[in-house]
Amino acid sequence: MRTLSKLRFGVAGLAALLAVGAAGTAAAEDVTLEYWVYSDFAQGDALALQQEFIKEFTAKHPGVKINIVGKGDDDLTAGQVAGAASGNLPDVFMNAQSVGAQLVEVAALDNIYSKWMAMPEEFRAQFDQSALKSCMPKPDELYCLPYTGFGSLLFRNLTVLQKAGIDTSKPPATWGEWLAQMKKVKEAGMFAIPDETLVFNSIAEIYATSGGTDSWGFDWANHKTRIDPATMTKVLQKFVDMAPLNSGTSRNDQATKDLFISNQLAFHTVGPWVNPTYEEAAKTSGLKYDFVLIPGDESGKTGGIRSYEMVGVAPGPHADLAFEFAAYITEKAQMARWAKLLSRYNANAAAMAEPDVAALPLIKVSVDAAHGAMDVAAPYFVDSVPSCYNSTVIDMASATADGSKTPEQGAEEMISQLNDCLAK
Amino acid sequence: MSLRRYLPHYVMIAPFMILFAVFFLYPIVSGLYYSFHAWNGVKPPEYVGLANYQKILLSREFSTAMRNLLTYVAITVPLGILVALGLALLVDSFTGRWANFFRNAYFMPVVLPAFLAATIWRWIYAPNFGLLNMMLGWFGAPSVNFLNDTGTMLYALIAVDVWVSAGFNMVIILAGLKNIPVELYEAARLDGANKWQQIVHITIPMLGPVLFFVVTYGLISAMQVFDKPWLLTGSSFTSYGGRRNALLFPVMDMMGRAFGSVRFGEAAAYGFLLTVAIVVLTAVMFGLRRWRGWA
Repeated sequence: MRTLSKLRFGVAGLAALLAVGAAGTAAAEDVTLEYWVYSDFAQGDALALQQEFIKEFTAKHPGVKINIVGKGDDDLTAGQVAGAASGNLPDVFMNAQSVGAQLVEVAALDNIYSKWMAMPEEFRAQFDQSALKSCMPKPDELYCLPYTGFGSLLFRNLTVLQKAGIDTSKPPATWGEWLAQMKKVKEAGMFAIPDETLVFNSIAEIYATSGGTDSWGFDWANHKTRIDPATMTKVLQKFVDMAPLNSGTSRNDQATKDLFISNQLAFHTVGPWVNPTYEEAAKTSGLKYDFVLIPGDESGKTGGIRSYEMVGVAPGPHADLAFEFAAYITEKAQMARWAKLLSRYNANAAAMAEPDVAALPLIKVSVDAAHGAMDVAAPYFVDSVPSCYNSTVIDMASATADGSKTPEQGAEEMISQLNDCLAK
Repeated sequence: MSLRRYLPHYVMIAPFMILFAVFFLYPIVSGLYYSFHAWNGVKPPEYVGLANYQKILLSREFSTAMRNLLTYVAITVPLGILVALGLALLVDSFTGRWANFFRNAYFMPVVLPAFLAATIWRWIYAPNFGLLNMMLGWFGAPSVNFLNDTGTMLYALIAVDVWVSAGFNMVIILAGLKNIPVELYEAARLDGANKWQQIVHITIPMLGPVLFFVVTYGLISAMQVFDKPWLLTGSSFTSYGGRRNALLFPVMDMMGRAFGSVRFGEAAAYGFLLTVAIVVLTAVMFGLRRWRGWA
């Protein structure tokens, strides 16, 4: 009787141990990854496709759950910085490369170089090499997988141009031709272009019509700006020339899009994300427009900036799985589907070369635009850009366009103040 | 004996005191500690003495932000209260349905989310075809770039702020108006006082404590102005303050230093300077209250 009791006890104990063990295994498998994306990727068709990616990935990884959360630009940065401080980071997240240095500084980004190198060559070769390089401040440091990107485009309102007597069959090939067209538009009583001095990126877009990546951005070793004074003088003169022709609105203002849609604005230099708005206006209100490359000083040179949104992985216990997911969503098949859905250029060169992707007009022009454009704030992931940097560029460009300074004075003061700002 | 007697009282105020200590006292004290350190939020803080304060006080952005703030506070607080007082007197003159309608209508901007209010005002202020410019156009006036012309930006913000704050202040002043005994007005009327004299000699003195609250609260809020200029200028952590920093304010600069440049020590020092300024201002207001006998 006593033996039977012992046996019963033993079996019950074994069963309990097995149950605990099984529960432990299940717990180890049950992982929830937090995945933060831009808010426009977390709604409508974009969200549906993201959820499809998640479904495909989780089907291959039983026990893994992925929680997608959409956030605005500033909320992404604030959440990631605060998350790093509190040890509560999302596992996989998007952000702009331009805030990469801040995220590295607060240890929000895992160095994924070894994980990247462990991936098959076939996967690694899919990415645009220059885009990938922008995630690598050092040869053995990789802080992101470049995701969607852009090269700025010149959106043209064909109705406005035709009213101004401009032949729209040939886009302007040089800055000189473009300025001549802007003047004609103004003479015809319409606005030529938004005020390009109001936003850092639009200043950079015009700078790129004369300069390039080698004379823009930061010399972090010496904490100096790389802006070339002679090029900046030339660019500031362009802002002076455009001052009487502009709409007074920035390239990002809703008012700018409204002016463009209502046939009062001829040109809009901006990224491809405004295209859905203009495409809709073409359908509903008969807007006639196209998009071409931003002309540079000489024929063959193009202006505009390029930049990439990135997918980053947080360090921590789920870093391997998070990287696997990041690699999955940036892989050719997914990036091709993503590009087709959004008509957006991205960093997976193999996906961009897919015939049905490359045939999309916006992507076709975006690829050329990105190749000819200037990196907006390179090099990335090295050091945080102080807030005084962008505001100094905007202030000096605005002051010169207002006539408070000559272009020479504006360039000289800008560079001196930028160097002070970086030295601090 | 005393502890046993007051124990239930202590227990009852304990939840508040705990929350107050965790969410107010601790952040203030830790903010003070971090203000003397270089700290990025993750790495161990490094003691730097008064360097953060020195850096802030000597920065161009700080002087611009303070200049903007002083002008803003000097205009927006009195103007907002005058408008609110006018609205309260107007609403008070109505009864029944109309009084409810106007009270709700003027209060609506208060409950509107800031981003929505900013979007509405960006449309109103839009150059060339914004509502305001369209109205100016009817009188042959040229288009004004309210949100990008450095001469008009601050006033454009003040208009938005008065629009939002007037409704809130109006409700408080209205409650004060309802508490003024009607007999005082009747006596004044018998003595031959006109409406204006009644407002100056009865309404405003009787509203003293209410106006004290409205002014103090208005000053504290104005000193911390952030969301409206941030949204009106389309600011981000890397670029804020609008054209030539005409709408740069201390809290915006502090946020930029914290999340744009990851300099939390400097941001903490900034926050502490602002806290001290607000505490001093509030103390001055309470001193004035005692002096005027509004207590």
